[in-house]
Amino acid sequence: MEIGAIIAHVLLFIVFYFEVFLLVSFIERQRSGTRDENATASYSPSVCLIVPCFNEERTLAATLDSLLALAYPKEKLEIVIVNDGSTDTTQTIAKRYTRHPHIRIFKKANGGKHTALNLALKNTEAELIGCLDADSVVKKDALARLVHAFQNPRVAAITPGIHVHTPHSFIQHLQNVEYRLAIFNRYAFAGLGSIFITPGPFSIFRAETVRKVGGWRHGHSTEDMELGLRLQEHGWLILNEPRAEVYTSAPRSLAALIRQRIRWNYGFFKNALDYRHLFGNPRFGNLGLIVLPAALLSMFAAFFFIGRVLWYGAQELAEAWIRFNAVGITTPSVDPFFINTSTLILTVYILIALTVVLIALGTRLSTVRGFPPLATPAFLVLYGFMVPLWLSASLVKAVLNTGVSWR
Amino acid sequence: MCSEISNTRTAKWSTYAIAFVITVAIFATALYASNYFQNRRMAEIRETQENISIDILSLETQFDLLTQRSCEDVTESTILPSELRTLAERLSYMESQRTTPRDDLLRLKRFYSLLQIKDILLMKEITAKCGLKAVTILYFYSNEENECKDCEKQGYVLTDLGEEYPQLRVYSFDYHMDVSALQTLISIHGVKPELPALVVQSKVHYGYKNQEEVLDILPKMEKLDSALAD
Repeated sequence: MEIGAIIAHVLLFIVFYFEVFLLVSFIERQRSGTRDENATASYSPSVCLIVPCFNEERTLAATLDSLLALAYPKEKLEIVIVNDGSTDTTQTIAKRYTRHPHIRIFKKANGGKHTALNLALKNTEAELIGCLDADSVVKKDALARLVHAFQNPRVAAITPGIHVHTPHSFIQHLQNVEYRLAIFNRYAFAGLGSIFITPGPFSIFRAETVRKVGGWRHGHSTEDMELGLRLQEHGWLILNEPRAEVYTSAPRSLAALIRQRIRWNYGFFKNALDYRHLFGNPRFGNLGLIVLPAALLSMFAAFFFIGRVLWYGAQELAEAWIRFNAVGITTPSVDPFFINTSTLILTVYILIALTVVLIALGTRLSTVRGFPPLATPAFLVLYGFMVPLWLSASLVKAVLNTGVSWR
Repeated sequence: MCSEISNTRTAKWSTYAIAFVITVAIFATALYASNYFQNRRMAEIRETQENISIDILSLETQFDLLTQRSCEDVTESTILPSELRTLAERLSYMESQRTTPRDDLLRLKRFYSLLQIKDILLMKEITAKCGLKAVTILYFYSNEENECKDCEKQGYVLTDLGEEYPQLRVYSFDYHMDVSALQTLISIHGVKPELPALVVQSKVHYGYKNQEEVLDILPKMEKLDSALAD
């Protein structure tokens, strides 16, 4: 067997093992019924929700309206808009909402999202603090579903189920499928005590804990990942409630998606380096032993497999071109003899089927009913080819230490 | 309150073990299925070769009887060119699949070359004795890297011609195949290692030939048509 095939089999085995591991953990968790059902329903701690804004005139109103509509005791809810040096009409729109007694606005020079969050953290006395990016909206019952987790004193944060807000473009539909898969993964990671990202859209934290660990940091433009890793490093728990639904605006075009993912992956590479002592370290349980190493390895596996597919695809194309030049267009053979049934290909088919199961589970975990999105086949075929576009760029940027911008 | 979720941070080794067993089982199943299909392919090729072998034996027997019987009893050949073509395509596919054991494949290719030579010889004798008009091309190629960049293209042209003219007999040989009968055939026709090479009516033509050029070196079209009609 050639060396490339050996590497392919080993990588595929690891990727497969990780997916099976998540599925087994999920089934074990479902069977033991550990979904915080025993939490007290009437628990309503004070909550401060921060809306950091930088030129969000288009989406801010919808975000604030959804926060005002939250089914949560108003006297326990505080909404803090932090205008992080916007140059558009964000401030004017924000001011319209000051008639609500529990909304406050802070205006500051642009310093990045983490500075906006820290400003609010400094100026609140609420027990819990959360963030909702100004491009997202929440469902009415989302906050009520999330706060119960904090009855456990070891819990520092909880993440919601994140969906794509009304997907229109093809790229958004692909992300809609990806987000369903992420819902499953995040839920499974939570069961393993291994969530290492507390996403911007509506993650809720214990304010005291965030202060204790030093507040938000720049985190290589991914402050949500940096804080997640830091909380894990300090031994805190991060949970997930997929039924608390948040709808976020996903990039509409491929170029915008690539920009966003370069930032995310750059952040992952850099934070992975900063928190390298967590990798493979049994002291951090499942996170150190399997989740972080698998996350890193899956990125390199994506490079390898797409490289391999492109290499063999180019060979096939070259062959087809030679054939076309020799005899013109020919009818392809329908002889089943020529169907590729190598171990690698058969395993890839099973892996794809398993991924569909995980997407379906992600859909079932939320309150969305029905089947996986219609774009699932397109996601399975195309998404893998898109990943190297941002992976390679973010890796180069991480190696050269160039930094990344938010927009 | 301390929910069960909060206690799952530490690794639960049984989960790791169960996942490992399931993954190994899936890979083992895929490996078994892959081997099963691979063996079925090999068996299919062997079966086709056996059939051809029986056909040749039958033809030889018919030929031996010729001294006592008339040419009318001999069909042009019992081996259909399409059978040879299918076999060639399948062997070529197996060769491109790196998972096929080299020794098994080589054995199949050797046998295939011998069957073709045997068929050539019989066709030659039948043609001479019974006055049949067979149109044959001996095609020599190489799979060695950088030795014959046009062989793939030439193969497509000949396959296409074979499909267009169903009784045109194209015999393809790997020039470097270690079969003594093949090396004798090469030396009889004086084929030099300048590939691709085509032998038509005992004349060797070197270099890539497109469809028109191949038809040009064959007996004229009307002759080809009449041969096909016979």
